[in-house]
Amino acid sequence: MLNSLIVEGAYFLSTSKKYQTTKLFFYNLLENNNYKYRKYFDIFMITLILISVIILVREVKYHIDDFFLYFNNYIISIIFLIEYILRLWVISSVSKTIIERSEQDSMLNKKFNLFLALKIIVKEKLQYMLSVRAIIDLLAIIPFFHQLRFLRIFILFRVFKLFRYTRSFKKFISVLSIKKFEFLTLLMLASIIVFVSSILMYIVEANNINSSIDTLYKAFYWSIVTISTVGYGDITPITYEGRLVAIGVIIAGIAVFSFTTSIIVSAFTEKFDEIKETKNIDDLKKLQEFYIICGYESIAQEVATQLIKKNNLIILDDDNARVKQAQKDGFTALNYNTGSVESYHKLHINMNKQVKAVLCLNETDVANVYTALTIRSFNKDIFILSLLMQNRNRKKLTFAGVNEMVYSKELVGLIAKEFVGKPVAFEVIHALRSQYNNINIEELIVTQRIVKSFSTVDDLKNSEYRLILLGLYQKEENKFLFNPKGSIFLQEGDYLVLIGNIVFIQEYEKYLKIKKK
Amino acid sequence: MMKIGNLIFGYNNYAIQIAKNIQSKYDNLLIFKFESDEVRTELEEFDIEIFDLSDEWNELKEIYNMQKSIAFCVLEDDAQNIFLTISLRAEFPDLTIIALSRNKESANKISMAGANKVIPLIQTTASIIVDMLDKPIVTDALHSILYEENDLKVAEIEIQQHSYFEGKYPSDVEWSNEHGIIVLSVIDKEGHSEFIYSSKAKHHTIQNGDVFVVIGYEKDIEKFEKLIGGIVCQ
Repeated sequence: MLNSLIVEGAYFLSTSKKYQTTKLFFYNLLENNNYKYRKYFDIFMITLILISVIILVREVKYHIDDFFLYFNNYIISIIFLIEYILRLWVISSVSKTIIERSEQDSMLNKKFNLFLALKIIVKEKLQYMLSVRAIIDLLAIIPFFHQLRFLRIFILFRVFKLFRYTRSFKKFISVLSIKKFEFLTLLMLASIIVFVSSILMYIVEANNINSSIDTLYKAFYWSIVTISTVGYGDITPITYEGRLVAIGVIIAGIAVFSFTTSIIVSAFTEKFDEIKETKNIDDLKKLQEFYIICGYESIAQEVATQLIKKNNLIILDDDNARVKQAQKDGFTALNYNTGSVESYHKLHINMNKQVKAVLCLNETDVANVYTALTIRSFNKDIFILSLLMQNRNRKKLTFAGVNEMVYSKELVGLIAKEFVGKPVAFEVIHALRSQYNNINIEELIVTQRIVKSFSTVDDLKNSEYRLILLGLYQKEENKFLFNPKGSIFLQEGDYLVLIGNIVFIQEYEKYLKIKKK
Repeated sequence: MMKIGNLIFGYNNYAIQIAKNIQSKYDNLLIFKFESDEVRTELEEFDIEIFDLSDEWNELKEIYNMQKSIAFCVLEDDAQNIFLTISLRAEFPDLTIIALSRNKESANKISMAGANKVIPLIQTTASIIVDMLDKPIVTDALHSILYEENDLKVAEIEIQQHSYFEGKYPSDVEWSNEHGIIVLSVIDKEGHSEFIYSSKAKHHTIQNGDVFVVIGYEKDIEKFEKLIGGIVCQ
């Protein structure tokens, strides 16, 4: 009866949308580094900890207002307690374990073993509770029992708790952890030197009545102070032999100190690229819209240089030398394989919302087909533009899901044709495209705001801003109207194609947005 | 009578595209290949001539009117292309040479070698890609004016009956309402092009001999041309 009730309850929880959404929210808030609101939670907790520590430090010598004590001992502690319980809750799923166990038992035609399920649940929860961070969390709650004065020292654990919310510290530890073996070896070496030198020092100095090193503890203290190159000088050897030992420890100290420094530096050098990559990805998440350029060869270099003027972009290439070149050119570039789904997942971005388009600019069709197909395998909607190097591969790129292709050889053919056939048009349009004499051709979207103030083409008064209205693109009919008649009505989503000085175009855009009837 | 030739130097994909694009409009298409180039089926339908970079082009001189002919230098190797351009220019000072270069650096060199028009491949391709992304509507509109077979034309019209305008300034004339055309710029007697709304053009009364660069439908341009009696150059 109890068993079936528990299983029913587990099914209810695992299918309850409200419960799952709530749990996911708390999981993201507490454990997911990529969750956008996580940093606000971290800042809130850091503030609480700092308040708590300030109160403690102040309390040592001065009287503290009761309100602050109450706030520190109850409010903050209760918040920490809630956080601890929430973490314990989200770290594993009780209902999932029960369901898994019950389904497994029913498959084997056995009666549901509640005890076994509970054992697994307790094991999972205990595993978390016994982790260092969970222990620190728990100890940080203890000042709640402020009546027990000796427990007040546990407030220090609140300081340790700070590390949970500071990601740079975690990064620092993770960087150093790659040199664990080296640090351990160095520690062993330093321990042996300290051990041997303190015994030696004790033996040679302890019986000398003028020497301050008269206990093994003092010899040990001296040894630590000396090897660490701190050298207070409060206790010093006075015998000839003692000073000889001191020379040895001093030299060893320099060696240990410099080794430690070099290990830390080399750890950072090795991890530098990774740290930079993480930083780039973090920055990327904050961007609203950007382009992904796959491949960084000559055309991609030029495209990136032109695109970056008005847009954000990121370059992915599996060739390290090209990535380095892109970084040197000032772009955000990652050494990722563009033909691997994993590469795009690692970016932690919302492809549909954040990415304007993916540009496959590798200078081989094989690489572009592979990249396009990889992206299409997990995203059907994103706009993909690709270079086409050989005309015979056009169909393959279309099949791979490329929306638009640019075949440079065809461009040369068209340009040649125009240059021969329509030299005037060619020169004029080329001049417009390259902003000759600051005269530019721009498109302006007709927004709802513009439609409200300017209902027809006649209302636009573009000539007052010394602008030519070349045409109107009508979204609904998907038609470009050259030199539109004044009586034509504007509609939201249409585009105005204007020619003129770029400064006037910008001014005109402001005028259109500001003017009201 | 000597022929006007369209000479394509290069036996590659660029040559294929150029040849296909201009073959319907222009006769006397001749493609030059190195002896070592392998035969390509796509180019079989065209006249092929073998050449090498040390040629002195005596045959060309005899057959073609080189003042009116056009040469496309589209060899894949920039150094060879520059050498070819310089050797053609040395021999034919009036030949129109359109040359391909990989990037801007070699575009400068090829201009120095005497090409009239250089197509820097990387920059051109990149600009097209950026335009397609940044200004899709503009790109489509310009593309249709340039490459599609429609009635929209860009033309240069010389004013011969300025009295029609009664001393008006170009920016004061209602070009689009009255004539259905758009005037982009005015080219003065020295050949300088000025945007219709630039300060200089605004203070210049319309006179005979002014050349206007206009965009419009073929019939409107013709009508306008009859009105002011100019020479139309498309």
